[in-house]
Amino acid sequence: MSAQANYDAIVIGGGHNGLVSALVLARAGRRVLVLERRSQVGGAASTEELIPGFRFNTGAPNANLLPPDVFSLFRKHPPSFIQPEVMSFAPQLDESAVTIWRSTERTAMELATHSANDARAYWEYARQLERFSGVLSKMAHLRPPSLTENPARLLRGWARLALDLRRLGGRDMMDFMRVLPMGAATWLNEHFETDAIKGLYAAYATTGVMQGPRASGTAFMLLYQHMGGLQPRVVVGGVGTVSAGLAAEAQEHGAEIRTDASVARILVKDGKVYGVELEGGEQLTARQVLSNADPYTTYIKLLGAAQLQPRMYRRLRSLKLRGSSATVHFALSGLPQFLAAVGQPDRLQGDIIISPSLDYAEQAYDDAKHGRLSAKPVMIARIPSLQDSTLAPARKHTLSVTVRYAPYALADSDWDAERERLGDLALDTLAEYAPNLRTLVEARHVITPLDYERDYGLAGGSEMHGQMGLDQLLLQRPIPGVIGHRLGKHAPQGLYICGAGGHPGGGLTGLPGLLAARQALEERA
Amino acid sequence: MAKQQHYDAIVIGGGHNGLVNAAYLSRAGLKTLVLEQRHILGGATVSEEIYPGFKFSVFSYVVSLMRPEIIRELQLVRHGLTMLPLESTITPLPDGRYIYRGPDSAATFRSISQFSTRDAEAYREYSYAMYHMAKAVKYILGIRPPDPTSFHPRELMALLKLGKHFLSLGEENIYTLAKLMTMSSADFLEEWFETDPLVATLSASGIIGTFLGPRSPGSAYVLLHHYMGEIDGVFRAWGFARGGTGGVAEAIASSARALGAELRTEARVAHVITRNGRAVGVALQNGEEIYAKRIISSLDPKLTFLKLVDQNELPSDLVQRVSKFDSYGSSGKVNLALDGMPELSCLPGYGEHMRGAISISPSVNYIERAYDEAKYGRFAKKPYIDIILPSAIDPGMAPPGKHVMSCFVQYAPYQLAEGDWNSQREAFGDAVVNTLSEYMPNLKNMILHRQVLSPWDIEQTIGMSGGNIFQGELSLSQLFFLRPAPGWAQYRTPIANYYQCGSGTHPGGGITGAPGRLAAIEILKDAGKVLA
Repeated sequence: MSAQANYDAIVIGGGHNGLVSALVLARAGRRVLVLERRSQVGGAASTEELIPGFRFNTGAPNANLLPPDVFSLFRKHPPSFIQPEVMSFAPQLDESAVTIWRSTERTAMELATHSANDARAYWEYARQLERFSGVLSKMAHLRPPSLTENPARLLRGWARLALDLRRLGGRDMMDFMRVLPMGAATWLNEHFETDAIKGLYAAYATTGVMQGPRASGTAFMLLYQHMGGLQPRVVVGGVGTVSAGLAAEAQEHGAEIRTDASVARILVKDGKVYGVELEGGEQLTARQVLSNADPYTTYIKLLGAAQLQPRMYRRLRSLKLRGSSATVHFALSGLPQFLAAVGQPDRLQGDIIISPSLDYAEQAYDDAKHGRLSAKPVMIARIPSLQDSTLAPARKHTLSVTVRYAPYALADSDWDAERERLGDLALDTLAEYAPNLRTLVEARHVITPLDYERDYGLAGGSEMHGQMGLDQLLLQRPIPGVIGHRLGKHAPQGLYICGAGGHPGGGLTGLPGLLAARQALEERA
Repeated sequence: MAKQQHYDAIVIGGGHNGLVNAAYLSRAGLKTLVLEQRHILGGATVSEEIYPGFKFSVFSYVVSLMRPEIIRELQLVRHGLTMLPLESTITPLPDGRYIYRGPDSAATFRSISQFSTRDAEAYREYSYAMYHMAKAVKYILGIRPPDPTSFHPRELMALLKLGKHFLSLGEENIYTLAKLMTMSSADFLEEWFETDPLVATLSASGIIGTFLGPRSPGSAYVLLHHYMGEIDGVFRAWGFARGGTGGVAEAIASSARALGAELRTEARVAHVITRNGRAVGVALQNGEEIYAKRIISSLDPKLTFLKLVDQNELPSDLVQRVSKFDSYGSSGKVNLALDGMPELSCLPGYGEHMRGAISISPSVNYIERAYDEAKYGRFAKKPYIDIILPSAIDPGMAPPGKHVMSCFVQYAPYQLAEGDWNSQREAFGDAVVNTLSEYMPNLKNMILHRQVLSPWDIEQTIGMSGGNIFQGELSLSQLFFLRPAPGWAQYRTPIANYYQCGSGTHPGGGITGAPGRLAAIEILKDAGKVLA
């Protein structure tokens, strides 16, 4: 090790969070190097030409969760958004549908065709969803307090939030605390009577968890998925432009970005990290290392068990990754026609959700719980080319389908053997709702949970860098004993988790990156 | 209107919490009357001779969670409470092996070692850790839940004290506690053990009485709840009362009587009489009216708020909340009168293991599959069963040479997708007996009489809405200051002089007596008295 470190900070992984970290650090005058294993930055916020002529969002599908303070990091290369009128559209086999519009009024009006009660209930539900998600969003912007060290400023922030919570009023505050640990099914049953509405929200509530909608904690996920409000945002040119924009901003502030640079291990001396070693042996030194890799990869693979106190190591070993989704991308020769939206292609602008009831979603989970791909999966399909013609050749379309549940660990098979069956399942299931789909498919590209691990570096295929269950949130994210975005005194210092494995978790928020970078700046002023 | 007699307090329901409450009120000098609809006191804590010569703990069947201060303060031992220890659990497996855990830790170690030495070692550590966790959490069983929305200094102090208590547990214990509050029992236990049947058997404590599977988050809390018992100062021990669980109710009833309470059976309350927003008495089904300064309901929240009083007297959000209070039962009970002692094929003979619990929980997936059926409204064809033979410990429960067998069964959902419990009851009983027979081949020929109880039957017999054995799920959103409803967790109700003291209040179900005692403290406080 040379006396002078090469960099102030090295960021392992150029996913959107890593790039946010790099940008924040570079803007503060730090010398920053980003090392990306793949040949393009973006990680799980990328747009890739998986099929010649067709470009797909391979990870995050939209920018619904990107908060204003992260968006404000963009100065010269801001992404532009299209704001569709539709948040979600859930076709049913009987050719009816539930559509959640940006406008509460319009949604409620349409829900009345299913149930007058539900139409009324939607007003109150939408109000609660926005208020509770708003509180959650505030929590997502604060570094979680720890049991051992808390800067005064941090405690003040949480005290302000507690006061805000009390200002919600007794009833709302109690309800917030009551709803957070609930199963989404219980909460939805409290509001609605129509299966189709409850099923639609169950699809959001089970994002990133290997749990069915009955499971405690899924109401939290439903709120988390609405932290951006009921304001869908599609990124022009694909989600990858967010990452590309962040990379460009960071570079303008002097950050270096190296692609095709795979980190083999994190270097430690005297209880402190001092850099990284690349595959091939090259060593790069820095005073701080921020890892955008998931916690399992970061601590177990790159840092190594030898650097961790046994208790910490045990906790990391029992980190619940539990990847539960796969994606099938289709190149289509035309727009599929949904029987529930004939002549109304505008309904297809948002998330197209196949999840007709709570029981349907729960049964899909039952299969996965026993190690099988769901026979009747919950699916969220998107057709970004509908609003952004740059993604596909003229008059053609891209269709990306998230298939849940696809458990990372299969009981009696492996994903290399199941890949095509998964592709067929997505097509067959969707074709029940849009029969002409079969004739439109030009090509398809299947990404299994195993592919997420191998190609995108997501250990256990976990899109959230660790299941977002109640036991892996806040000061327990990713494991108990974290101080903000680093481990406590029982692990080498100077190493931060700046990806979705840190608070507040997954999704295109940029918040783990922002919070980790701020902590790194504070701790080495 | 002819006033009969005037009481200081009327307690509706003679279950163990109602009796505990009445005993404490009497002890403080209040003239108290308990009204029980059945011919027998005890509610779900009863022993009944449902078949000549055979006595059954019809509903709840083991005792551990009874608060020691109640045993002491109400002198229950003097009033006849005798606890007999239930010391072992055996888990027979389909392949003929078994796991035995008993009072002899060397035997336990040997048994678990046959599956995994690592687990045998971890088991000691685990028991120790859970002992500590239960001790740490015991504190909250003894306090009235604070109201986190209130700015009243008393409530703020209570919150502060609670915070201090938790911080005093130390870092590691707080993490473990946080895990117990949020994880599934199987996930929690898999961090300790690799032997699946051991995880299954232990995690079963996390599903008892709740509509959760061992892999459902929230079940680890129920696991902890079941560790909070203490008998004779020994933590985590389970036992029986001599004469069945009815022995507990009888002892409390005897104590209450001695303290001056009047206990009436076959007195079904139709509704609470209110005047200008205050509770002043009760009207019985037979038309009789009895007046008192305060009325306490030990019934479940739905009966307490939606049936006993006019909903118009309550704020609409409370009515809405209580009507959505989750109290659908998921457990059934099969009580068998046997001609002899059955044998386990994995361990023939009548050793110590037959004096303990027998757990049909061969794997986590086995229990999960049972849960999967229940989720969609079917009883489990291959259920989880917790079996005990009370007559093996207390010979008075059955004629000489004969036995009673108590089978707690999960899952049996209150709401069936097809048919009703009247048409499904015997099929459910058959499923239980058939499952048992796989492990006890000679059982079928010994059955003299069979009693099958579904959650619906529990509701019909003793009144608990939905037949939930805890008067309402022990889910995170129905605990502590949220039990039974936000803002009404401190045993009072919006109607002046009307109180609640059942398991539907903090700290919930099990034969703890804690809700009855904590309610008494609040009632006496309002009466300007302290619990002596």
